[in-house]
Amino acid sequence: MAQETTSRSSFVLLQVGGQRFALSADVVAELAPPVKLHMFPHTSPSVAGVIVRRGHVVPVYDGGPILIGKSSSAQRFYLIARRRVGKTAEFGAIPVNGECELATGDMNPPPDEHPDYVKGTLAVGDALVEVLDLDALIASHAASRQAQDLPEERQ
Amino acid sequence: MKSATERGTLPRRLRKPETVVLFVVARQTFAIAAGAVQEIRSTDSLAGAATEIEQPLAPKVTHYFERGRQTYYVVNAATHFGLPVTRPTLVLILRQRRAAVLVDRIERMTEISSLHALPLAFTGDERRWYRCLAYVDDAVIPVVDPGGFLTAAEIEALDSARQSAEAQRELEGAVPS
Repeated sequence: MAQETTSRSSFVLLQVGGQRFALSADVVAELAPPVKLHMFPHTSPSVAGVIVRRGHVVPVYDGGPILIGKSSSAQRFYLIARRRVGKTAEFGAIPVNGECELATGDMNPPPDEHPDYVKGTLAVGDALVEVLDLDALIASHAASRQAQDLPEERQ
Repeated sequence: MKSATERGTLPRRLRKPETVVLFVVARQTFAIAAGAVQEIRSTDSLAGAATEIEQPLAPKVTHYFERGRQTYYVVNAATHFGLPVTRPTLVLILRQRRAAVLVDRIERMTEISSLHALPLAFTGDERRWYRCLAYVDDAVIPVVDPGGFLTAAEIEALDSARQSAEAQRELEGAVPS
């Protein structure tokens, strides 16, 4: 008798610029309503600013340039998720359009040639939705921005 | 999903409120501990006392001045923070530092009762620039680290450039005309 090796997991489906992606529900803390994005000078390429949520300062990562080729910071809701930073964990927010839903299913392996930030796919209806690795997405964005900034000299 | 209290990221509560000076550079507000500022002067008042200096390692410093036995390097805060360069009107002379900081204006002094650590997501120069973040009047304001305006290497390079320039001037002054 074949033994089932995968268990069904929960995912949060989110929309960035009209495209659907999934994040493991384990890392998602909450969907925050539209709040003010606070910005101040810094040199961290993946960070768009911070929001204040429940008395805490939460960094906002703009995944748009990597996922859809343009900034997603115009989106007004924030999906707050836990990510690893070195040996510790920290909450971070991703701008989303607010249409998030919970889905249950088995994560399938990613396509053969996939970006590092896609850790698998999830069948949702007739569509295959990419399951994101938040840490890898942020690292991709930072690397991409640093590569773009290289020819320019920062003032 | 976890509630905020489960996240373990409570802001640092201060036993006593801290008095800070809110200052503006290129429309961006910053805070600095009032105790870190020795004096606030207009840039006009420094005009006669400041000497030009050029050092590629610290292009944000264009002048220095002597006060007592101390040399202060004048840091343009807009250049330091990568903001558009403006016309500063005030200079903050820092206490127990070798830096004086050009700013556009002082907003006010205020007391802050809680501080937030800079999130670890910030990994660049800002970790040296800022001590922490403060939430003041519905705005997140970086609290600057007075020691972050000039690194030890920058001060060393500036000292060397200044001494060379002064020696050159003395030499030129000694040449009979």
